[in-house]
Amino acid sequence: MIRLFKVKEKQRETAENAKDEAVRRKQTAGELRLHKDISELNLPQSCGITFPNGKDDLMNFEVSIRPDEGYYHGGAFLFSFKVSPIYPHEAPKVKCKTTIYHPNIDLEGNVCLNILREDWKPVLNINTVIYGLYHLFTEPNYEDPLNHDAAQMLRDDPKLFESNVRWAMKGCRIGDTFYSQCI
Amino acid sequence: MADAAPPSKSRDLDKLLLRPGNLVGPTFDPGVQLRDDLQEYVRVLVVGAGGLGCELLKDLALSGFKNLEVIDMDRIEVTNLNRQFLFRLEDVGKPKAEVAAKRVMERVSGVNIVPHFCRIEDKDIEFYNDFNIIALGLDSIEARSYINAVACSFLEYDSDDNPREETMKPMVDGGTEGFKGHARVIVPGVTPCFECTIWLFPPQVKFPLCTLAETPRNAAHCIEYAHLIKWDEVHSGQSFDPDNPDHMKWVYDEAVKRAELFGIPGVTYSLTQGVVKNIIPAIASTNAIISAACTLETLKIASGCSKTLSNYLTYNGVEGLHTKVTEFVKDKDCLVCGPGVLIELDTTVTLKKFIDMLEEDPKMLMTKASITYHGKNLYMQAPPVLEEMTRSNLELPLYDLMDKIPKDVLHATGTINKDDKKSSGLRKLRVVFRGIDGVTDMDMAGGA
Amino acid sequence: MAEPKTKYDRQLRIWGEQGQAALEKASICLLNCGPTGSETLKNLVLGGVGSITIVDGSKVEFGDLGNNFMVDDSSLGQSKAKCVCSFLQELNDAVKAKFIEEYPEALIDTNPSFFSQFTLVVATQLVEESMVKLDRICRQENVMLIFARSYGLTGLVRISVKEHTVIESKPDHFLDDLRLNNPWPELRGFTEAIDLNVQDPVAHKHIPYVVILVKMADEWKTSHGGTLPSTREQKREFKELLKARMAATDEDNYKEAIDASFKLFAPQGISNCAEVGSSSSDFWVMVAALKEFIANEGGGEVPLEGSIPDMTSSTEHYVNLQKIYQAKSEADYLVLEERVRNILKKIGRDPHSILKATIKSFSKNARKLKVCRYRSIEDEYNNPSPAELQKYLTDEDYSIAVGFYILLRAVDRYAANFNHFPGQFDGGLDEDISRLKTTAVSLLNDLGCSGLTLTEDLINEMCRFGAAELHAVAAVIGGIASQEVIKLITKQFVPMTGTFAFNAIDHKSRLLNLC
Repeated sequence: MIRLFKVKEKQRETAENAKDEAVRRKQTAGELRLHKDISELNLPQSCGITFPNGKDDLMNFEVSIRPDEGYYHGGAFLFSFKVSPIYPHEAPKVKCKTTIYHPNIDLEGNVCLNILREDWKPVLNINTVIYGLYHLFTEPNYEDPLNHDAAQMLRDDPKLFESNVRWAMKGCRIGDTFYSQCI
Repeated sequence: MADAAPPSKSRDLDKLLLRPGNLVGPTFDPGVQLRDDLQEYVRVLVVGAGGLGCELLKDLALSGFKNLEVIDMDRIEVTNLNRQFLFRLEDVGKPKAEVAAKRVMERVSGVNIVPHFCRIEDKDIEFYNDFNIIALGLDSIEARSYINAVACSFLEYDSDDNPREETMKPMVDGGTEGFKGHARVIVPGVTPCFECTIWLFPPQVKFPLCTLAETPRNAAHCIEYAHLIKWDEVHSGQSFDPDNPDHMKWVYDEAVKRAELFGIPGVTYSLTQGVVKNIIPAIASTNAIISAACTLETLKIASGCSKTLSNYLTYNGVEGLHTKVTEFVKDKDCLVCGPGVLIELDTTVTLKKFIDMLEEDPKMLMTKASITYHGKNLYMQAPPVLEEMTRSNLELPLYDLMDKIPKDVLHATGTINKDDKKSSGLRKLRVVFRGIDGVTDMDMAGGA
Repeated sequence: MAEPKTKYDRQLRIWGEQGQAALEKASICLLNCGPTGSETLKNLVLGGVGSITIVDGSKVEFGDLGNNFMVDDSSLGQSKAKCVCSFLQELNDAVKAKFIEEYPEALIDTNPSFFSQFTLVVATQLVEESMVKLDRICRQENVMLIFARSYGLTGLVRISVKEHTVIESKPDHFLDDLRLNNPWPELRGFTEAIDLNVQDPVAHKHIPYVVILVKMADEWKTSHGGTLPSTREQKREFKELLKARMAATDEDNYKEAIDASFKLFAPQGISNCAEVGSSSSDFWVMVAALKEFIANEGGGEVPLEGSIPDMTSSTEHYVNLQKIYQAKSEADYLVLEERVRNILKKIGRDPHSILKATIKSFSKNARKLKVCRYRSIEDEYNNPSPAELQKYLTDEDYSIAVGFYILLRAVDRYAANFNHFPGQFDGGLDEDISRLKTTAVSLLNDLGCSGLTLTEDLINEMCRFGAAELHAVAAVIGGIASQEVIKLITKQFVPMTGTFAFNAIDHKSRLLNLC
């Protein structure tokens, strides 16, 4: 290819032509794929999405979920999504911003959802993840606990678990923990 | 017997560059001119000044190249010294790119190496366009993906969807792990680009969080518990820094406590570092082999002095020695290196009209298209919040929305209706505006 | 934290403290320090070998500055060995670096006992005659030897050692030794204590697959006359049986059991190459003990490795399971150790002359032992393998690499006749080409491949190369040579067996099984 390189170098020397192209941001393959995911989002009424950095940053967004059934009915829970430039090779990073009493979500906002870690596959998308999160509210499970106490309570005394959930959603204290008011 | 040639520093290289050959590239034109042109006109960028980068710089400097630049954001660490042979103990803490460039220039006279101590994203795109070949000595998928996207963005296609040779930015890419490695040649538009074959990189194993929290079984589980769960619990707000020895020590201590609690053996400081930083073992010999293979390909691409690797070499020295060449194929629909769909437009066409046209265009047949242009979302069909934010663009001319650039690439997502079947699709579009200077020549360059 | 340990961190993760200690004890001799030799040593010095001795009688010429990173402009006219030695020393002050300004060929002829002091000799850029002589010396002195040569866009690497035995071969993929179809009493006892039909869903999904498979295999045997699934149909049926026992569709432990069921079907016993010889090296003493073990206590099995893969399980089950495997492994090792000591006694050696740690490692790696043997160079040259060569020459993908192997030998014959390599000088290329062609034809004849020819293209290329030692080719060849040296010295991983013929044209290189 040396002939081409030579031509190019000559052009470079002689022209140094005014860079006709404005400095443009490089859109990665991950951003493009995310653009597709977002433009195809089909969320239920109970889920909302916002883009804190405006319409041109899709890589960071927030999802709010208001379950319309189950223990968490009436609450509103906020999740932050951080998407990597090599998405969907890597799962989005999701954290729960609301301090919540939930067997599968710990007080730091870590979420135990298989498709966010060990079972993530590039064919999955943002819609799947949001539905997965929604599912955690309608069917919390004590088999894969992150909040050990909440899980035990759900297993041993669902009635008390339910009242703890209501209590927590009002922003009250359970044990040593203050929960976010979200109802 | 013939007389010995006069002394030349390129005594050995001259045999390849000055003599005609039989198994060579199609444009090989041997002679002194070729050797001189290689030195004068070919500019190579080495991305990464680590294990592969150090080797690449040395190899290129001794393979007839004189204009080299190197970019790396890292500083030298003690753990680099078992393979990054341009660095000494007293260099620890200094920028890798600067020390590497200096050492090679000291040793090989006549070579000029410009170091760039910064992130690859810090350079504007035009910086990369200045080079003829980019050699990648990287250890992350992200960085490879980025450079690949940049290099492919220079690629242009003619009206028959043939790549224009003068816009191709060839890359050679190396990677190693222990006794194993790969070297590959990426000529955008000709061989598969990094994104065409991203599946070659297995996804990183991630443990389920509930396993870490409830049923840890091995040392790595205990370490990841301390790193991913316990840290946040104790240090609210303070983020974990893997390069801070105090932080690492804390994670190690917590992991040990947890391992003792569950009767799990095997937590060591070394393993803690390995798990938390995802350390990939690395040795000098493998880096040397892979970098040298990459350098040979760089020389061949530039000079044509031999055939080229087509297009992916793997090396495995764990059990015996295995090398294998695989010819991967391009993904013709690749969003990054593929031609995309060529669309010609008048400058007056509005975004709305353009989206409507995509429904009718036989090459697209796309309904409900959302449009993105270099990271600017021009129109989003969903979700409602974005639709609302982008709706006002619909009445504006696309030409204006594309900063009045006569030809450029944008991407559309929507529903594709083909053969009565609907599927969702993401397409690359090459938009050319009619009647603007500078785009009339687009048919002539195809066969260059 | 000690500095050397940190410095070597990335390689300690591969070959461990023991491998590193072996490297640090090794003394390496390099013959000829052109780029091939310099690059080989560079990688070894960085890794921290004990000492290096560089033998080269030449002075640095102008051309050396263009292909060797271990010399610079100030080296011109000086001893190459001295310059390379001092540059290499810069890379790692823990290495003892020496040089001898002498031509290797002379040393081979006049002072063969010189080589006995080394652990390993790296011989670069030697011609056939010297290779044969050196090989004879090193075999006699029990010094490991590796040849490396770069030549234009080709080159070769060849190990020459009578026998190399490996305990820690560390394969990438190896079937776990779980004894699912042949559980020992403790493992059986453990599985019996666990109820597969436990009601609690949490408990049910945390039964390790080892337990599931052992129990289900028993169940199958009871209903199938004591045999395990063997036909494809039966194996499918067995997997269906497993699936039917799932309490919910998301039970990872059952999914793992289905995926791992092939481990149950895998044939028992040792399939590996533990060859027994009459030599009485430690390795073969242990092999003899291993044979006894298999025939007696092992009941057809080798000592248990003792490690288990990660699997979905409660912590308690997993940790207990791990303890059961480890205890069995330890017990097997103790039996083997006893047998080793007895054999040592019998053959008149100190029964404690083999370290506990060595026997333990041998015991744990009993299924992974490797033995590599290499013919002498002389034997390879005098008794060629025409059938192999013909097979390689007609394999289109690799004919270039094999052609290069033959031409590398042809150029040595050529040089012996004409006192220079074909194409070494710029004049008279055409004559060189036709002479090389004649030489190659007669060599092919001697190799028993008279019917076969090499392509004109390849012969022309070989003349074009003119014995050039290109830096990048030397870096590949030196890199491979150093990697093999590390495997030989650490006695870990498996060194290449055969001659590696490098093809830098399209990288379709070939490991030729000729030695």
